[in-house]
Amino acid sequence: MNRNNIFIHLALALVLILVAAFAGQLNRMRKQWKPVQIVPTEDKKRPRTAEEMALSEARPSGRPEVLVKFKTGVSRSAIEALTLRLNDRIEDRIEHSAGWESVDDLDNADAEAIVAEYSKLPEVEYVEPNFEIELSEVEEGNPLLPVLPHDPQFNEQWALANSGQRGGTQGADISATLAWATTTGDDDIVVAVLDSGVDYTHEDLITNMWMRPANMAPYQDAELGPVDDVHGFNAIDNDSDPMDENGHGTHCAGIIGAEGENNLGIAGVNWKVKIMPLKFMGAGGFGTTKDAIEAINYVIDRKKAGVNVRVISASWGGTMRSRALEDVIRKAYENDILFVAAAGNASVNNDRRPHYPSSYNVPNVISVAALDRNDQLAKFSNYGAKSVAIAAPGVDILSTWLGNAYEEKSGTSMATPVVSGVAALILAENPRMPVDELRSRILGAVDPLAVLKGKTVTGGRINAAKALAD
Amino acid sequence: MAISRDGAVENARKDLANRLNIDPGDVKERSVEDSDFPDLSLGAAEDGEMSGQMITPGWRIRLEAQGKTFEYRADKNQVRLYKFKGKNYRI
Repeated sequence: MNRNNIFIHLALALVLILVAAFAGQLNRMRKQWKPVQIVPTEDKKRPRTAEEMALSEARPSGRPEVLVKFKTGVSRSAIEALTLRLNDRIEDRIEHSAGWESVDDLDNADAEAIVAEYSKLPEVEYVEPNFEIELSEVEEGNPLLPVLPHDPQFNEQWALANSGQRGGTQGADISATLAWATTTGDDDIVVAVLDSGVDYTHEDLITNMWMRPANMAPYQDAELGPVDDVHGFNAIDNDSDPMDENGHGTHCAGIIGAEGENNLGIAGVNWKVKIMPLKFMGAGGFGTTKDAIEAINYVIDRKKAGVNVRVISASWGGTMRSRALEDVIRKAYENDILFVAAAGNASVNNDRRPHYPSSYNVPNVISVAALDRNDQLAKFSNYGAKSVAIAAPGVDILSTWLGNAYEEKSGTSMATPVVSGVAALILAENPRMPVDELRSRILGAVDPLAVLKGKTVTGGRINAAKALAD
Repeated sequence: MAISRDGAVENARKDLANRLNIDPGDVKERSVEDSDFPDLSLGAAEDGEMSGQMITPGWRIRLEAQGKTFEYRADKNQVRLYKFKGKNYRI
């Protein structure tokens, strides 16, 4: 080979190398180039109904999808660039929750891996798999999508949607967002909050407060005569003003029914409901059995007068058994009213050391234990394989407080209104459901937890979506 | 009006002196600790009393008199004597 041929061969080799390199680069670029598809959203002012969701949803089968909440201030272009870099696609914006994106993974990685990948990003507030749940709608090919409210502190409500925030366990919640695909409540359903009263002027409660209808006669107390119960009833002072002086009752009321989708504070288990405030505990948060009985009698009277009050939420108790209290709760049962009661906070077994009223063996009573954000029985919670029916979130629960405030509180007091709230959701869908069936429905709608085996009757955490599935 | 920590200790000291019929100066403060109580009656409900089942922050006050230790429980709303001669009292 002469000198010229060597140069020619070297030049040809160089050209081939350059061509190969260019082709490789093109291939890489082609692989990386996945157009970001953003499904335009309609300017809807209301959450979508379950029916609308079933019609609109067309998630590709077998492709993992996650729901990502980007931090406030992360721009649209930054989100698009980020998903492009990870070879993902923005499948949809979630209409009624600012910052949420439904992200589709084009590499077909499993959902947990995608969640882990996004969790590490500084732009992401939190991320969760787009769970499919075992409901009949899913089996029929119409999966429910979670419904998320705009209420600004909703992200802190782990009991309703646990994304693992603040060290919690993802999914350790009552599946409220899936339940809301079926119903967000009905203001025809009245829940009596038998407590320290309720701050009925709280801006996140005021819309959902019960008021005696103008065409209904005032309450007639056997001893006091007429009581102008326009806002409810105060059994301490035997008057018409159930204003809360402690905060406990206001907190419980917010868990059941802080107005949802109103751009204020939090969302209750019910976005729409009617809270009937009853006061039998004063500023200290304690009261007498006699006043509790009077307040329950008031509820029964109003039920007979035509108020659709179907649930009494009782986040209180003591260790003294009262036959009179038991009898009036039975009377509530005979009037088709569910009685949801706190199991107590003494870390004891109620099978051995009963706590009342939760330990009364009356068919309308549901005794409620408390769980923390990791699905563990709260260290303070009472339990009982025979006497405590069910568990619900009850640690670090954010809810309404006196003076338009919001506070986190813990106790079986906080777990109880979660169950009362689910009862109201069921009634919103099934307004004529008898109390026995309502109770059975609630106890049959749990996520079993190993930690509750032998600790409660059902051995599980209440699941609102399951409770609405039948 | 909300009760302060010092106010609660003073109320407790006076109450114990009155119960034991001794001079308040003869009641010694053993300890005052922040504590979370199981309910709104501070885990010291009177007979027949019902209380909100919410964890309640407050103070555990231990006083000494006549060679014995007595426990009071207090929060911003109340002061209670815990198991005095086997019974609880709200003062």
